[in-house]
Amino acid sequence: MTTAPSAATPAEVTEIDASARCSLLLLLGSALAWLVLSGALALVNLVQLNSPSFLAECPVLSFGRTQALQETAFIYGWAANAGLAVALWILGRLGGSPLRSLNWVITGTIFWNVAVTLGLVGIATGDAMAHTWLHLPRYVLPMMLVAYGTIAVSGVLAWTGRRNPMTFAAQWYAVAALFLFPWIFSAAQVMLVFTPERGVLQALVGGWFVQGAWTLWLAPLALTSAYYLVPKVSGRAIPSYDFAALSFWTLLVVGGWTGGRHFIGGPVPAWVASIAGVSCALLLFHYIVVGLNLRAAFSSGGSTVLKFVAFGLGAYVLGGFLDALTAIRGVALVTQFTYFTAAQSQLALNGAFSMMIFGAIYFLVPRITGQAWASSTLIRAHYLTAIIGTTALVAALAVAGWVQGHDLNDPAVTFAVIAGHTKTWLQVATAAQALLVLGNLLLLGHLLKSAVSSLLAPATATFRQPPTMEASVS
Amino acid sequence: MKNGFTFFLGLFLALALAWAGIVLGSHAQLGHLAPYFDENEGKAFPERLPGIAARGQLVYQDLGCAACHTQQVRRPDFGSDKARGWGDRQSVARDYVSQPHVQLGESRIGPDLANFGARPLAVDAERLTQYLYDQHGGMPPYRFLFETRKITGERSATALKVPAAVGMEVVPTHRAQALVAYLQSLNNVYEYPEARPVEPAEEKKEGAAK
Repeated sequence: MTTAPSAATPAEVTEIDASARCSLLLLLGSALAWLVLSGALALVNLVQLNSPSFLAECPVLSFGRTQALQETAFIYGWAANAGLAVALWILGRLGGSPLRSLNWVITGTIFWNVAVTLGLVGIATGDAMAHTWLHLPRYVLPMMLVAYGTIAVSGVLAWTGRRNPMTFAAQWYAVAALFLFPWIFSAAQVMLVFTPERGVLQALVGGWFVQGAWTLWLAPLALTSAYYLVPKVSGRAIPSYDFAALSFWTLLVVGGWTGGRHFIGGPVPAWVASIAGVSCALLLFHYIVVGLNLRAAFSSGGSTVLKFVAFGLGAYVLGGFLDALTAIRGVALVTQFTYFTAAQSQLALNGAFSMMIFGAIYFLVPRITGQAWASSTLIRAHYLTAIIGTTALVAALAVAGWVQGHDLNDPAVTFAVIAGHTKTWLQVATAAQALLVLGNLLLLGHLLKSAVSSLLAPATATFRQPPTMEASVS
Repeated sequence: MKNGFTFFLGLFLALALAWAGIVLGSHAQLGHLAPYFDENEGKAFPERLPGIAARGQLVYQDLGCAACHTQQVRRPDFGSDKARGWGDRQSVARDYVSQPHVQLGESRIGPDLANFGARPLAVDAERLTQYLYDQHGGMPPYRFLFETRKITGERSATALKVPAAVGMEVVPTHRAQALVAYLQSLNNVYEYPEARPVEPAEEKKEGAAK
């Protein structure tokens, strides 16, 4: 059954949306293409875990390289492009004026994607760096930094030129993400790639970078979408909104310290892991406030947009609690170095980030193209594959990791036996990943269809009933 | 948050605080760490990687070996690292000061390699080379690190003892040889002052358990 969301009004579609159509569709189209590619590579990676000789003859797709490729395509391909599109659009809307310097956004997007493509080719042919989330070869990094700045400037202009001096939580998160990523990215480039630190300091800078990229960039981008969509679609004001600012600053100030939890028992100063543990516990305040602020998402009333956001929020809050749990020494003893860590990162990336951004994509695309989504069946199919795939992937990896962790702690259990114990769960994870790829392919196809038909038909002629543009599933 | 300047300053300070705390803080503690000179042995530890091993570390890095192997031994009372024979003492920061590209790793789909060079498999270069060529348990074969070529004159000394077509031989490439040299160089057994204190009590505990 398809129902109309309550909050949309005829004033929803403005020149703010129409003017940004090309640049935002370019960002979103490339984002989804990268997402499908990354999912396919992740699938190859999981198959290789089950049968190690799969594509082993092909140097480009050795296990380690495939992992680096899929991670890079996800972070810098999908997450960066999609997150930027959503942040720019929301900043434009809340700023109250059409986005400026959109030609720069298009130029930046082209250069960014060329750089990511070159980076992936570099990784596949042997130029990879060995840092998590920073496998990209050195020669593409400066270009990416400039391209990012070119895209982000439009968001900053929308913020500084906003008509309403009052600001909203969605804007804080968007501006923080746009502004902080270049700092984190350039600091990591300098300290890891161009003038690398000595010894384990490399690992510490790497840990700080990954955590910073999550807490100060990707998580804020996802929250931008959630803080904008939940009140907008549900038509209800955010409850306990006073706490939102405190929660925002908690994430920013405390979040960056939590990366050290991966170093429990490692050859780094012990205080790094201890501070990370304490910070993870402090950060729970942020997760609780986000959950409370946006709880209206969980009573979505049939809106597909909110269903995606609700799943993402659930995953985000659960992820925060799991981070705090695995920062405890006794738990880390089992989960450290296992698939459990992979499950946590999938929960954050596929579960929290992607779902909240999908929600935003389903909301914004009809508004910028001026046409409703072509098929509510496709949306429903994508929703089902996304939630089933993500849940199964995360659960299977978590169980596999838990089994693996217990086995690793028993010196009598060999690696061959551990592989046997985890095999079934890894097969489930593989099937789940296949489902995710299929779902994302549906979304890519659906977006392309909408984009093409909107470019062929004038927007105003077909755009009549904003409230029915979002297909809603109940 | 009406004041844009204060907002941006806050953002920047939040970022700078964590960076200063973690990166500068540990830099202040470990930045001056130097190899430890042992007067009895007349040399400093850890030793620098030989040239071929340093090249091998780049091969290890670009193949993404760290996706499955860590290079960090945890202390004996935390995990089974010692019981699995991965090292008698925990890894310390000084173990890594001479490594251009530190590969701590985050996943143990395969065994830890911090002291791999001391293990029987690694001591014999020929056996280790053969190991990379074949598939073993969960580890894929790395045949693209080898080339099959025509035997010209005598059979190459490095040729693997594997089935090959008549008149052909399978030999490791330079990359395979560098990787083997790197894996053989992984051996942090020297007991630095900071690595000692944990050991004696743990030795007893381990002995009693057996």
